[in-house]
Amino acid sequence: MLFNVAVLIVLLLSFGLQEFLPAIPIAYHARLFLPVVVFLTGAAATSFSMMLVLAFVTGFLWDARHLPAPSETPSEMLALMEGAGAHSMGAGSGEMEFGLSILLFGILGALMQGVRPLFKRGRLELPVMMIGFSVFGWLLCQFLILTFIRGNFNFPQGMWSKMITDSLLAMLVAPLLFLLFHALARWLRYEIRYDGLRYHFNGR
Amino acid sequence: MRKLNILAVMLFVASLAAVFMLNTPTTRRIQQRVLAVFAPFIHSSAAVADAVEAVSTPGMDPVELAERNEQMRMEIQRLRIIAQKYNQLVDENAQLRKVLDFKGSSPFKMTAARVIKRSASTWWNTLLIDKGSLDGIGTDSPVITEQGLVGKTGKLAPHMAEVILLTDEMCRVSAKVEGTLEQGILSGERAGLDTVPNLHLRFLSRDAPINPGANVYSSGEGGVFPANLLLGRVVKFQNRDISGEALVKPAVDFSALDHVFVIEMQVIEP
Repeated sequence: MLFNVAVLIVLLLSFGLQEFLPAIPIAYHARLFLPVVVFLTGAAATSFSMMLVLAFVTGFLWDARHLPAPSETPSEMLALMEGAGAHSMGAGSGEMEFGLSILLFGILGALMQGVRPLFKRGRLELPVMMIGFSVFGWLLCQFLILTFIRGNFNFPQGMWSKMITDSLLAMLVAPLLFLLFHALARWLRYEIRYDGLRYHFNGR
Repeated sequence: MRKLNILAVMLFVASLAAVFMLNTPTTRRIQQRVLAVFAPFIHSSAAVADAVEAVSTPGMDPVELAERNEQMRMEIQRLRIIAQKYNQLVDENAQLRKVLDFKGSSPFKMTAARVIKRSASTWWNTLLIDKGSLDGIGTDSPVITEQGLVGKTGKLAPHMAEVILLTDEMCRVSAKVEGTLEQGILSGERAGLDTVPNLHLRFLSRDAPINPGANVYSSGEGGVFPANLLLGRVVKFQNRDISGEALVKPAVDFSALDHVFVIEMQVIEP
């Protein structure tokens, strides 16, 4: 219980720290997304139900802080489109739904649960790689959702460079966070158990 | 799966559905509160970045500073004279409009704001300024510099606002091309990753007589942006399947923004 609270506190602190992390202009403004990495490492360290709580908190705060506010004047936008003769062009509102990150983090967190046995044994190679793939997958999903909503396929070259750099930065920090959570677990006497998707047959 | 996990999944799905069903004003309120909570972190990070920059950049020569100060004073005096003339003309214009009972475009109030930092989002081009709802700024207000249109305001905190840049695909402006009757919609590129991202002016007529170098201005349609704000210059025009499209270089240098002005449209009582 105490460990779960500690992970939640680390996650909330990471949102504050995120504001201090600079972007890398030469890598298309790639940066370390610290709360996302904290969530993914936390997802490997905590139970399934706690992972869902973390996914909800991370997704909610991420969208609240970083998703641009929805336009208050959709009717005006429609008028604008019609004014330019674009009413039949299938142009969408182009805005991502608030809360989609919660869903994405829930799915990625469930995948991270699969590496709990390795995390328990202190083997970090695969969990760190999983963090990289998860960050890449999260960014790609966001981009594909935007592409789907906005209705035209556009994959600029820099997008791939940015996503790869973001993922590498996440992989660079992930071992430190894994070690932090390992130390916290030991300190707070938290036992990392893996229940997985075992089926319990109760005889009926 | 354990019963607790099944219950957790059900609760997660129910909470997710509740979040998806939030309406726009509620979403905005949540975003504004969260931005207000993070405001101290954002201000501190900007102060740290400024301090690091001040240490890393060499100090200016005092003589040079004094010269620049003098130039600035003269510039202020010149602008004050222009502002006086402008106010006289605005009053005169308002009186003449009243005489003619003319329902024209509204004048607008400008609030100066300092750019705090670029936001740390994934695919959106936004920045934060140091004026917010308590400074009289509203949402979806145009943001300009002396070079042209920068974007529009989004989320607001009491003394902070997020600006969605013109280079973002989400910020769409109804635009017209100088010297033609052509109107279209100007928007940025998805993710806008380049240092100087180009803008796309879409839904123009095919074979429209648009030459490179022509200025592109806001048309004022849609009600968000006032008319005649400079947006950029045409780089090239090309025909698409059913309409024409012009590639536009933004008028504003988005990498060197220090101060901006937020426009508040004022409604004239008839």
